Amino acid sequence: MNPGPFAEAPETFSRRLRSDVGGVYAIWLREVKRATRDRGQLIGGISRPLLWVLILGIGLNPYFRGEVYGEVRFIVPFTYLQFIFPAVIALNIMYTSVQSAVSMIWDRQFGFLREVLVSPLPRSLILLGKVLGGATVAFFHGCLVLILARFADVSIAPADIGYGLLLMALLAFGLTSLGIVIANRIRSFEGFGVFSNAVILPLYFLSSSIFPIDPGLTRAQAVVVYPEWLITLVQINPMTYAVDALRGALIHFNQFDPKMGMLVLLGMCVLFFGIALAEFRRS
Amino acid sequence: MSASPPDMPPAVEFTGISKRYGRTVALDDVSLEIGDGEFFALLGPNGAGKTTLLHILCTILQPDSGSVTVRGADVVRNARRARQNLGVVFQESSLDDRLTVYENLEFHGLVYGVPAAIRRERIAQLLDIVELTERRDTVARALSSGMRRRLEIARALVHDSRVLVLDEPTVGLDAQSRGTVWRHIERLRAERELTIIVTTHYVEEVEGADRVCIIDHGKIGALDTPANLKAQYGSESLRLVPRDEATRNELLAQFADRASERGEALVFTVPDTAFVDALLGQYGTRLRELSYEHSSLEGAFLALTGRGAKDQLAGPRERTLAFARQGGEHTR
Repeated sequence: MNPGPFAEAPETFSRRLRSDVGGVYAIWLREVKRATRDRGQLIGGISRPLLWVLILGIGLNPYFRGEVYGEVRFIVPFTYLQFIFPAVIALNIMYTSVQSAVSMIWDRQFGFLREVLVSPLPRSLILLGKVLGGATVAFFHGCLVLILARFADVSIAPADIGYGLLLMALLAFGLTSLGIVIANRIRSFEGFGVFSNAVILPLYFLSSSIFPIDPGLTRAQAVVVYPEWLITLVQINPMTYAVDALRGALIHFNQFDPKMGMLVLLGMCVLFFGIALAEFRRS
Repeated sequence: MSASPPDMPPAVEFTGISKRYGRTVALDDVSLEIGDGEFFALLGPNGAGKTTLLHILCTILQPDSGSVTVRGADVVRNARRARQNLGVVFQESSLDDRLTVYENLEFHGLVYGVPAAIRRERIAQLLDIVELTERRDTVARALSSGMRRRLEIARALVHDSRVLVLDEPTVGLDAQSRGTVWRHIERLRAERELTIIVTTHYVEEVEGADRVCIIDHGKIGALDTPANLKAQYGSESLRLVPRDEATRNELLAQFADRASERGEALVFTVPDTAFVDALLGQYGTRLRELSYEHSSLEGAFLALTGRGAKDQLAGPRERTLAFARQGGEHTR
């Protein structure tokens, strides 16, 4: 069994391209396989939106009114369920993306990372495969929420679906990169769980996801309704614009400039992947 | 060591490799040339620098100075080509526990860019050689540690690597599995053109190597065939247990410079047969036990490093497992 022509063949551009694409595919496939074999992740991905849509959403639905003591301040022309629905998609993507980075800690702990590091695949493509894999799983978990659309009384026009899915994919990619940046700082499984919750929940609650901030009000007027620190935090939170963009796509309700969402999402993808790559190359 | 054409670069060439961690010198100006088709063993106590040397070869670590080439390709400047030629089995398992045997091999083939047809063929051949064909669809987690090792060795060869690097391939295995692993390595060597570089601290395992390099404190202590090492550094010794205390004291007094105590036994290094004749002629009737120890690699190793090769500290994986067994952080 002597090595055939493969081992000795010269490296041409097309052969290299094919082998690189195959390598990214292998890493992507492994991430997806690992996620689908872990039943816990899938249960989390289903139970989380059920909790938020069916219990919190339905429970708070009757209280979501613009009238306070008869004085009309601000009316969102949607039910609470409709309002919160796009945000739950973002939440589900957020959890799964950041959690998928646990596989990075796992690989480092149990040596698998080395197997990949000694392969001819460049570091950037290793990371790309990993992020794409995690993002795919997160994207899929986002799609799971879409099944609940009819319970939330959200009807999505076929024309909007494509744009909505694109936004979800970008969000998944950016957040998975963020998860890997976090995983580079935290080396234990327990620490990661605690820390990721400490990142995810504030980002989520401060993204105008569960309560609206009146777009018709000036900042000065908004500060009368909400404390200033809260408004500031919501406005500087990138998730605010991601959730807003999703809301724009799915229920046509925007609190901010619709273009902002796309820009912020692209910025997140580039920034977090860039940081993750720089750190991965150094390690 | 098989003869290679003069224009062929050596399988692996280390030139003046130095590496330090902070103030600790791990490797100090190490130069080595490993020929094509050679079975080369690196022997040294823990912390001697063996693994560091291999990690530099595998491009996981960068040396502070010096260079390494694999079949002519520099591991830093032409890393891709060098890695393509290397098959690596790390000391600690690097399988994906959740993938099956086949999936682990398939993953490796894809990452190394092996075309689909060759990939399928190689995987089938290698599974056959390491006797894991029946376990093809078993999840790696369910394999015994011996099978895992064999799978890792097969995996390192899926991309037709010409240089197989094995870092402590038999550590943590029982004697039977160790034997099986070596049998498979031998068989692979017979069937392919393969250069093998192995580190181990089981001295008996390197008897079959073409050349042995004894490394300690980041420097090469000796580099030769096992037979020459034994002849040069290993010494023959006479081990005996005296019948009574008086004999013991007399022996110690008379041959003080050659004697060492090991429990109740005394061990004498033997310069020549005349020494043995003299000692036995005088004390032969007053001994309870007597044995003659031929020179061994273990002896050569002890002479060169002053330490037993098996004085090992627990590796990080063992430490992690021990930690998990005691219940992790929560029981402290």
